[in-house]
Parts: sequence; C-alpha cells; structure tokens
Amino acid sequence: MKSVLLLLGISGTTPFLSGCWDRIEITDLAIVTAAAIDKNDNDQIELSVQVFIPSSISSGGGGQGGGSSQGGGAVTTLVRYEKGSNISDALSKLQSKLPRKVFWGHCKIFVFGEKLAKEGIREQLDFLLRHPQPREKANVYVSKGKAKPILESLPPLENYSGEVLRELSDLHIGMLVTMQDLDEMLTGIPQAAALPFVKILPPEKGQTKLQGIPYIAGTAVFKKDKMTGMMTEKETRGLLWLRDEVESYTVTIKPKGVKGEISLSPVSAKVKIIPQIINEKWRLSVKVITDGAVIQNGTNLNLSNPKSLNAAERAYQKDIEKRIKMAFLNTQHKKADILGLGKDFYRKYPKQFNKVDNHWDEIFAEMEVEVDVAAHIRRQGYINKPAGLSEEEVKDK
Amino acid sequence: MEKGKISSLQMAFMMYPTIVATAIIGVPSITAKYAKTDLWLSPIFAALIGYLTVYIAYKLHQLYPQQTVIQFTEKIIGRIPGKIFGFLLIFFYIQNTGLILRGYAEFIVGSFLVRTPISVIMASMVLLCAFIVRGGIEVLGRAAELFVPVFIFPIFILILLLIPDLEFKNIFPVLADGVMPPIKGAIVPGGWFSEFFLIIFLLPFLADMKKGMKSGMKSVFAVMMTLIVVNLTVLFVLGSTTSTKLYPLMNASRYISLADFFEHVESAAMAVWIVGAFVKISVFYYASALGTAQWLNLSDYRPVVWPIGILIVIFSLWSLPSSVDVSRNDINVFPLQSILMQTIIPLLLLLIAIVRKRNRKGTETS
Repeated sequence: MKSVLLLLGISGTTPFLSGCWDRIEITDLAIVTAAAIDKNDNDQIELSVQVFIPSSISSGGGGQGGGSSQGGGAVTTLVRYEKGSNISDALSKLQSKLPRKVFWGHCKIFVFGEKLAKEGIREQLDFLLRHPQPREKANVYVSKGKAKPILESLPPLENYSGEVLRELSDLHIGMLVTMQDLDEMLTGIPQAAALPFVKILPPEKGQTKLQGIPYIAGTAVFKKDKMTGMMTEKETRGLLWLRDEVESYTVTIKPKGVKGEISLSPVSAKVKIIPQIINEKWRLSVKVITDGAVIQNGTNLNLSNPKSLNAAERAYQKDIEKRIKMAFLNTQHKKADILGLGKDFYRKYPKQFNKVDNHWDEIFAEMEVEVDVAAHIRRQGYINKPAGLSEEEVKDK
Repeated sequence: MEKGKISSLQMAFMMYPTIVATAIIGVPSITAKYAKTDLWLSPIFAALIGYLTVYIAYKLHQLYPQQTVIQFTEKIIGRIPGKIFGFLLIFFYIQNTGLILRGYAEFIVGSFLVRTPISVIMASMVLLCAFIVRGGIEVLGRAAELFVPVFIFPIFILILLLIPDLEFKNIFPVLADGVMPPIKGAIVPGGWFSEFFLIIFLLPFLADMKKGMKSGMKSVFAVMMTLIVVNLTVLFVLGSTTSTKLYPLMNASRYISLADFFEHVESAAMAVWIVGAFVKISVFYYASALGTAQWLNLSDYRPVVWPIGILIVIFSLWSLPSSVDVSRNDINVFPLQSILMQTIIPLLLLLIAIVRKRNRKGTETS
C-alpha cells in the first residue's frame, strides 16, 4: 500500500518539475536577428523585425549557388513591420502577422530611425531594457532616414544585413555601443551619448536596389536621449583615438621637406586621459603612446637611416596630435560630453565636480586640452629602401 | 527529538548558502542605491552584525548546551514571556521562509519561466525541502556539503568569464561622500547577516562543539568575501546603472560573450543557483519545524513538517501582493525585523542570562 502511494506521489509530481508552461519548441519561435524602430509622421512607432527563416539554411546554400540573377545566396530572412503607439503595442500587432512567437534572445542589432532619435529614444529603450529577452550585449545604431530599409537590404556577402553591421562593428571602424553602454551613458554623469550612424551603401549599376549594404558612416551625438548632431567618418576616427578604441588603423603622413607620403598600418595606440584642475582651471591632459609599421613609402627617404626615421616619426607625431585636437574641438563644439570626461573628472575630483554638476556642459565646452604624443615607427616591412629608386635618388643621410 | 549529529564544517556549509543565495541576487542593487560606487564596502560593515550574531548565539549556547533558543528562553525570562518570545521567533521564521520562497519564485518567474504559475514553482520547492527537512539534520548537513561547492563554483566561473568586460575604473571615486553612504548601504545586507542566528538551532547537534564558534566566524567571513567580490563584479560591469537593475548579477552574467559564440550562459549558471536557494529554504524550514515542535513540547518534529510547509506557501503567497512589494519589504521591513529578532533581542537575552547566573552564584557563595 505504502509503495503504491509513494509511486503515485512521485509520478504525480513529475509534471510540475519540467516547467511545462514555458516549454517552447524551436519550430514555434520566430528568431529576430535585427530590429528597427522608426517614428512616422503621425508620431506612431513603427517596429520592423528581421526574422530568420530556418528552412533557408537546411535546403538552400550550395544548391542554388551563384547562378541566381540576384548574385547573392538564398534569402535567409524576412522583414515584417507594424505601427503602434510604442514598441510593445506594435509588437503585439506584429505578432498577429507572424505564425511563430517572436523571440528576442538572439537579436544583436537594434537600429533607431533618425526621426525617432531626434525626438528621444528613452521610451523605447525602456522596453528593450525591461523585457527579459533582449540582451544587454546587443549593438545599438542610428540610421540616416528610416531604419527599415537597412533590415530589408540583401547583402551579397553575409547572410543578412544585421550580420553585416555586427561584423563591421567588431572591426572597430566606427564606435561600438552596446545597450548596456547606452544605458550607462544616459543614466550616468555625462548625460550624453554617442551611437554609430548607419547609412546604406548604394548598389552598383546593374545590381538590384536591395543589394546596397549598410555601413557605419559616422557617429550620432545625443544630448540626454535626443540626437542633436552627428560627426563625420573622419571626426569619428578622431573620437576613437580619444576613447582609446583604435584598432587596425591606417595613418598616412607627409614628412617635411620631401615629396610624397608614408603610410603606417597597423597602428596601435595607448591613450591615457588625465583630468586636471590647476588653479580652479579645468583642463585635460591626453597622453598617447602609439606604434606603427610602414606599409607604403612614397617618399625618397630611406627609413633605415635613423635621421630619416626620426623625421618620419616627427611627422607621425604631429599628425596624431592634430587629429586628437581636432576631435576634441569637435566634441566641444557639440557641447555634449560624449567622451564621458565628466565621469573621469568625477572619479578624480568628486567634490569639485559635484559643485559644477549642473553646468558641466559649459565647463566641458571651454576646457583646454594638452596633447602629448610619443610616436614610434617599429617595423618597415619586407624592403628597406623605397621601391623603384636608384641609389642616387634615395635621400640617405 | 533530533538524534543526528553534524560536524562544525557541515554547519558552516549550511550557513553559507543560507545567507549568500538570496543576498547576491537582489541585494547589490539595493546597496548601490545608497552607497553608489562604494557598494563593495558595505558587506564589510554588514559583516560586523554577522560576527556579533554568531558570538551571541555561541555564548547563549554555552550557557545552555543541548538546548535550542525556544527551550532556554523560558529559563532566562520565565515561562510566559519565554513562550511569547518563542512564538514570535517561530512566527518570524515561518513568515520569512515564505518571503524567501517568494523572492526565489519571483526571480524564476521574472526571468525564465514567465508563464508558469508562481504557486507551482513555490509548491514544488517546498515539497522538495519538506523531504529533506523530514530527513533530519544529518541529511541536510550532507546535502549542504555536497551542494555548496556546486553552488560556489559556477559563480566564480561566471566572474572569470566576465573579466574581459570589467571596467575597473568604475571603482573610483572611493568614499567621495565619506563613510556614511556605505554604512547606510550596509543596513539591508546587515539584515541578511543577522540570519546567522540560525546556528543556534544547529549548535546543539554539533559533534565537535568546540569548533562551533570558529566555523561560524569562518562562514561569516566567507559570506563577506563573496558579497564583496559579487558587488565589485557588478559595479565593474554595470557601473552607474547597477541600482536600476532588479537582479544585477543576472544582468552581468548575461553580458558574457566570448568569441561570439560562447554566450547565453546565464540559464546554466542560474540553474545551479537554485541549489543554493534550496539549501537556504531548507535551513529556514528546518529551524521553523524544530522550533515549533519544541515550542509545543512535542516528542518529534516530523509531524509538523507538512503543516508548516503549507503555512510557508500561504505566507509567501498572501503576505505580499506583487514583486514591487517584495523588494519594498526587503528594503524597509526585513532588515529591521531581522536584526531585532535575531541580534538585538538575543543580545538582551544573553545579558539577562549572564546577570542571572552571576546572581545565583553570588547567593550560593554568601
């Protein structure tokens, strides 16, 4: 009798152990790979999601090959969109158009449309941070114009456009901002944020319109949660120097007194930002140690010669100094502390900073900067003298 | 009543998850609200309450060996007041077992099993705990010994995997507004450290009594170190957003991503965390059941295990309406209640007991 009861008890509890209510088969999920959030002219939110089509991987691929007229592989994603008063409203309507349950867990790309960014992203960000599925590690972007076309584009090289953006970000060509970073920038001291700004590279002649791919074309500057301006690609690179995010980078310099240019790549750098308050004056000291390898030498300098190397290094140093100063002036001009300097000052001078907390933007805009660069050329590739020049032509002293 | 014996090490192993399991989930965010970037200092201050509580419990036990708090309070402050305090203490433990269960279930429902009814998650956990409590202290001790390493190891793996994302600069400025903020931040974790008073239910069953105090202190130290490390990790990953998150360690563990494919590990890590919650609830449950039986002068505590299990589920469901109130209770009510019931009143009991013993000795010699 007792063992029968025990057996009944054990088998009775099993349904409760697996959490059956939350069982979802993978075939019931619509896996979102990228999402775009726009605002239309009626002040409605437009949510577009790029949903992965699982069957495209199992049946497509090699079979179709390069013969198709589109030039790319099989279409692996579909884009659906819906309007609503906010993301969740749009999402609930969107769900009625998708036979599978929307799943955010693998969404690594969120793109905000330009209009939405200018009017404020806070309300929509709340959904992304509150919902348990979207991940803090996802990358966030702002698009030029509407964000939806970025999801619709069919890149020839990657499986879907979200992947293109992610790979580009991983190369550190533009800024890489995760949702966690964005949250920290907005809630923390600077009250300003910077997000990578995405455009669509127009397709070549003869390609279909959809084959343009998204690329990172600069940086969108946010004050609080509203986009107030943007920085060009060149300015963004300076910004990356200041944020110490330089990776796989090429610098082209023009040494004094000779014709032609020298290119260095890859360039690695260590940037140290030292906040200082001297005699009530707020200033910034930037210390840079940078190394480079010669990749192209268009001048007649023989870089094996210490003297010429010195000249080249001096030019290198001047170039970096100029870049950093320019970038800093640029951000000052925007009156938005997107470098998070407020945080650096707060960390070093908490008391003084708390006094100026409310007009920090003005102090930041008037701050002086001192740049100190130590530049070295460490390697010169497979040849020492400039190519294609006779002994006499090479300046060798 | 309870014939089993445990070693002092087993006691330390039982107490560690009893504090840590829930303290690493919600408490860092509460501490960050008050202490900002100094949240890692708060556990140091909070641990002082832990050391004090262990000391009080051990001294009380030395005065009345072989008895638990329910039995000896009657001797210290008389039969009726003793019974009243005993009842309050049992009530406190049953109610708080309920609240711990609720906290655990809210976390599971909020993060993983979104559609599962919360009562099912609670009931299945209590059922499991009831079996181990009925098994007795030896079973509980051995389970703790087995599970605690399983519980600690993933937490440290988690922190190791987070190293690439750690922003060490976030620790500055240290003590920008003086020592007050971290002390304020220590009040809530202090409530957790007070729970060390539970050792008073375990001390009578120690095989090696002499090491009781030392093991208790070691356990407090281990908890303190764990909380410091967890708070630092959370601060390094989440920075100024720590106080806005409900479960900061969870958010931090979601941030793990190695080489683009080793990610989404939080489910695995948190599955193991449940083991810690299991030990915690079991220890509280055991104390409640044993205390109730002693309060009622029963010869065995096993008959009251099931009824108390039902009470625990009811307390967890009925005492608070929403998850907002769960965290409000954790901040505003629990620390006060916990420190009062488990540190301040026992301290008074200890003082009374010492004075009485001295008086008795005095009358004997004269």
